[in-house]
Amino acid sequence: MFENIKSSLPRKVPNMYIPPEPSQRKSSPVMNTPELNGQPVVESVAKISVRNLSFFYGRHQALHDITLDIPEKRVTAFIGPSGCGKSTLLRCYNRVYEMYPGHSATGEILIDGTNILARSMDLNRLRAKVGMVFQKPTPFPMSIYDNIAFGVRMHERLSRVEMNDRVEWALRKAALWDEVKDKLKDSGTALSGGQQQRLCIARGIAVKPEVLLLDEPASALDPISTLKIEELINELKSDYTIVIVTHNMQQAARISDYTAFLYLGKLIEYDDTNVIFTTPRHKETEDYITGRYG
Amino acid sequence: MIEPTTPKPWQRLNPRLLLWRLGWDRVARHGIAFGGISIILAIVLIFFYLAYVVAPLFKPARTEAVATYVLPQHAEARSVFLAMEEQDEIGLRVSSDGLLLFFKLADGSVVKQSQLHIPHGTSITAFNSGEPAHGLMVFGLSNGNALVVRHHYDVSYPDNKRLISPEVDYPLGEKPVRVDDKHKPLHQVAVQENGDALVLAASTDDHRLLLVSFEKQTSFLSEEVTFARQATSLEHPVGNINQLLLDKDVRELYTVNEGGELSYFDVSDRSNPVLVQHIEVAKGRNITAARFLAGGISLLLATERGRIMQWFPVRDESGKERLTFIREFEPHRSAITQLAPEYNRKGFLAVDADGQLGIYHSTAHVTVLKKRITDKAIDQLAISPRANALLAEDASGRMFFWRIENEHPEVSWSSLWGKVWYESYQQPEYLWQSSSASNDFEPKFSLTPISFGTLKAAFYAMLLAVPLSIMGAMFTAQFMAPRMRRVVKPSIEIMEALPTVILGFLAGLWLAPFVETNLLGIFSLLLIIPPAVILAAYAWQRAPANIRHSVPDGWEAALLIPVVILASVVALELSPWLEVQFFGGSLRTWLSQNLGVDYDQRNALVVGIAMGFAVIPTIFSIAEDALFAVPKHLVQGSLALGATPWQTLVRVVILTASPGIFSAVMIGLGRAVGETMIVLMATGNTPVMDFSIFQGMRTLSANVAVEMPESELGSTHYRVLFLAALVLFVFTFVFNTVAEIVRQRLRRKYSSL
Repeated sequence: MFENIKSSLPRKVPNMYIPPEPSQRKSSPVMNTPELNGQPVVESVAKISVRNLSFFYGRHQALHDITLDIPEKRVTAFIGPSGCGKSTLLRCYNRVYEMYPGHSATGEILIDGTNILARSMDLNRLRAKVGMVFQKPTPFPMSIYDNIAFGVRMHERLSRVEMNDRVEWALRKAALWDEVKDKLKDSGTALSGGQQQRLCIARGIAVKPEVLLLDEPASALDPISTLKIEELINELKSDYTIVIVTHNMQQAARISDYTAFLYLGKLIEYDDTNVIFTTPRHKETEDYITGRYG
Repeated sequence: MIEPTTPKPWQRLNPRLLLWRLGWDRVARHGIAFGGISIILAIVLIFFYLAYVVAPLFKPARTEAVATYVLPQHAEARSVFLAMEEQDEIGLRVSSDGLLLFFKLADGSVVKQSQLHIPHGTSITAFNSGEPAHGLMVFGLSNGNALVVRHHYDVSYPDNKRLISPEVDYPLGEKPVRVDDKHKPLHQVAVQENGDALVLAASTDDHRLLLVSFEKQTSFLSEEVTFARQATSLEHPVGNINQLLLDKDVRELYTVNEGGELSYFDVSDRSNPVLVQHIEVAKGRNITAARFLAGGISLLLATERGRIMQWFPVRDESGKERLTFIREFEPHRSAITQLAPEYNRKGFLAVDADGQLGIYHSTAHVTVLKKRITDKAIDQLAISPRANALLAEDASGRMFFWRIENEHPEVSWSSLWGKVWYESYQQPEYLWQSSSASNDFEPKFSLTPISFGTLKAAFYAMLLAVPLSIMGAMFTAQFMAPRMRRVVKPSIEIMEALPTVILGFLAGLWLAPFVETNLLGIFSLLLIIPPAVILAAYAWQRAPANIRHSVPDGWEAALLIPVVILASVVALELSPWLEVQFFGGSLRTWLSQNLGVDYDQRNALVVGIAMGFAVIPTIFSIAEDALFAVPKHLVQGSLALGATPWQTLVRVVILTASPGIFSAVMIGLGRAVGETMIVLMATGNTPVMDFSIFQGMRTLSANVAVEMPESELGSTHYRVLFLAALVLFVFTFVFNTVAEIVRQRLRRKYSSL
């Protein structure tokens, strides 16, 4: 199929990628990383290790034998055309797919060495550890305060004061505090789209997860809100392992440390973001990032 | 780029097509507007029509002076009695000298005079009239005899014109009959006719009280009428009797004594009258007027201080009749001189020494009207048989003929909604009993028991329907497999199409007897099914994996069908045995004997089940839509935060769907309140105020349906039924409005994305 795509493409696409300064990268001890095409992909402690993951929507196989490691306290971006399975892969990390009947995953996903696909896994604790933010802002129809407190109450018993502190902490962390501190009792649905999305991020942070899954968090937002979200992600990565699915390749280039390219349910290429956007090894990757298809 | 000269796409359209489209657009818009406005208009019109029919109930009474005149009278004589004929054409005045003067009410012209033949040497010493409708009068004479006279009116139509000719006859003959064997002058008299007997009561100058009855006997051969006289003397506790009152069925005799005292005799056994009670009723004030209210049960007593009281005998705990104070009407400022009860209703007129007229109604406990007729004391008063005119005579001998417009005095706030002490009842009660065979019947128009019944029926229906339908909606919307949902939802919705008349007669003819015989079974269903379901769910969890995987996700619920059926069969089969073991064979008997709970076959339980069944589809359908419409991303968001499906359902889904669930419940309630056929057939239609689940009720809707066909057009009953309909309308209107307001509020608060 890829052979059909014209090969006379420029190898480099100008105006597209500003590689981050190499000095900004933290170097971590190299661990037992999986290899893609014989090369180590991640030079960091792996927070999430995916082993031979296949995913089925009923009979339709959406993911084919995915194996990759997500490094700790880094931003990893999944890119790929629509329907390539990147969101599906993301949803496997907290098993949120299980709310639909007929969806099933095989293989292993190890988070801190525990296989979360095991039947014995306590989903609620998993989801407390692996927070998720969706494409569309999903504030609950309750006050801003209760939106934040909702998840916390599921996992912890906090006093009133502790809860107030937690809400403020989460909102500050999500850079929303200054905008909403005077209207915590107002409905979360009354906020603007960008604020709603930051509220959802704050809500996710409030339960103190270790991993944050962002499923196209800025695709429904205007450029200014998008910028704010991106700044936020940049700040959060010092504390959280962040996995982001995005359609916007500039965004992936701007904010991520590692990038995985998925196509038709297969992991095509996974590497340092610099590498992916400057010297992709696969033609499909190159075609995609140069806007050939997707 | 498009050249400026190139026509734009819409310009290229055929102008006729454009016009056509525009036209249709307009037609559709106006059509929709017309439809919407018509519906609103129709509802408003219904409301106003109901209000229009009801409005006369609350119209104040009016009076209108028609004529004032003076009638001729002998110098020595004074008026002792006034009466009117049914058509308000002819009046009668009886003077103390025995002159009966019939005159045209309109102008006072004399139509007929008739002088009683009083034997020489005797004079009239006492006078009284009997039941107004019978036209009986009695004159007591100074020789201990009495003359009974009846006035009546013959109607003929010579030349096609109505001619009313007054007649006087003498039921006991033109010769006075002997009352007192000792021939003492009669001081007070009273007369009533009961079947073939004429009964006279009389007190004599020497304070004896006599009861004399004349039984009519017709000889077979000659058809000659003779009267068998029977006289009894009554033991009377005190001296001076001011008035005698004999009720129209000749069961009770009251003597009104000096100083506001009353003696109550039971004279139903005429040969052996008994003094039942001697009672002070007016705190030492003299009773100046005393009359029976229509029906002869209630006694109206008015004092020299202007008080007007109603008393009637009430059975006390020991089963003895006791004359009891019931209520008091707005007092007059001076002595009441006359009372005139209406012939067919429980209203009456009162006049006083200041010339003031008061119109009252006893059941409604209202002063319908108060007006001054003259500035002199009014001595005599009569009300026309149809209660639409009055005749009064003041101390100067002037006659006042007034028209009265007083259509619906029975209705007042207290008679519609309050507890009313009806005649012959032991205490004030809420009652609806609009009509009976008897004319003397006191209509009981309390809307409280039927409004209560409406709410009770709705409550029990909702008790069954709300949990079942909402929980069902939750499961269907959130957990059920889509394919199963596609079957379940329409099936439940199709239940709504079931005509309620079918549900009604099934409830009345099949369910009611079934529940009656399987009462324990029905209750044990409630106890057995939930544990059975939980047990089955637990067993399913523990079942081997290959069995569990054989059932697709979301279809497990179907497995509960046999479980529920089995549990029901077990409960119903087990109940006779349990009844024998614990309740002595019959729960019904056990309930009534041990708990004092009465069991009606058609009761709130049956209605709750049947009407609950009718309401479930409504609530289920709307609530399911609301729950299903909760955005999936909210559910995902909640699950992603680590909430369990149950927590997500309770804290996010229900919250978000709450406006829809609330309006589902309120629309269901509106339906339950307005539902007619089921309650008509399954409630027993007894307007009782009892919240017991084993008792029936009557609802507003069933009440209208049952009684409207038999109510007389324009009567109070008819209008009160319309009022019931209006109340029902207001009920459903209020429910729906509250539902809408709350729903809007909830929607603003919990608006989903």
